[in-house]
Amino acid sequence: MIGLIVLFIFITLIILAVAIIINEDLPHSVILFMGFGLGNVILFFLFSAPDVALTEAVIGTGISGVVFLVTLLQIRSKEIKK
Amino acid sequence: MSLKRNITIETLVISLLVSIMTIILMGLFLDFETTTLSIGTEVLKNNEAVTKSANAVTSVVTYFRGFDTLGEVTILFLSIFGIGLGLEGYKEKLNIFAYDNNLLKIAVDVLFPLIILFGFYVIIHGHLSPGGGFQGGVIIASAFLLMFLAKNNDFSLNHKIMELIEALSGASFILIGVLGLLIVNRFFDNFLPLGTIGNLFSGGIIPLIYIFVGLKVSAEITALVEYFIRIKDVE
Repeated sequence: MIGLIVLFIFITLIILAVAIIINEDLPHSVILFMGFGLGNVILFFLFSAPDVALTEAVIGTGISGVVFLVTLLQIRSKEIKK
Repeated sequence: MSLKRNITIETLVISLLVSIMTIILMGLFLDFETTTLSIGTEVLKNNEAVTKSANAVTSVVTYFRGFDTLGEVTILFLSIFGIGLGLEGYKEKLNIFAYDNNLLKIAVDVLFPLIILFGFYVIIHGHLSPGGGFQGGVIIASAFLLMFLAKNNDFSLNHKIMELIEALSGASFILIGVLGLLIVNRFFDNFLPLGTIGNLFSGGIIPLIYIFVGLKVSAEITALVEYFIRIKDVE
């Protein structure tokens, strides 16, 4: 059963990774990247590494996503002023 | 400069290669235990007798590989230092939400102390349950991130206190290592009574190291978030 879940998450992660690269809208790719981090969290937990899963949950889906979004907003606000 | 980017054949090929490598790595994981886990079994066998810490991962990070943790903390400090140098002229804060979001402001007042409490719980119970200094520190920083997002101009940090916390916790972390060198003749060796496994006050120096690492990491990541939210003064 766990093997099936792991296989499903692996396939989802590969599809998500390709989608992150192909997507033309950068804020969209950041949201997809946060979803990618969520899949990683489940995978780390299933491979019995809850410490790494906790770190990935906070950094991968929380802080790095917000930092990316804020950077995009900064670039966009500069474009509007020019 | 536009926000759109061009997709070339190269990026597609690289992503395909990376996914093939992931599948090969998955195949390696299947017979991982029989081939390359000799150090891991040794550590798991001796962990309970040597460190009395219920979480074996924590005892590897802070005791068996304490010197590596010192290196990691140094890398984090240097990267935050570099970001601070690079974004030096950025003073004014970016207004992320164009309007005042009252619901978010009130909800953040309730959530902020709870997240801080959970972060300190994760730090202090690092030797008993999953988590530890790095994880708890980042959780505390995420509470400050929420505060920055919700109350943009009404909330600011006292930089003197932040610098003091960061410097003092880093210095005490190294001081613990030097005390081990002086008392037991090994850098980052244990010099405190071990206690019984599973208690809050057990594991010797492991909880102390993780408390200092947690304070340092939380101060640094909070500083990073604040650097990124600022914007340069537009003339």
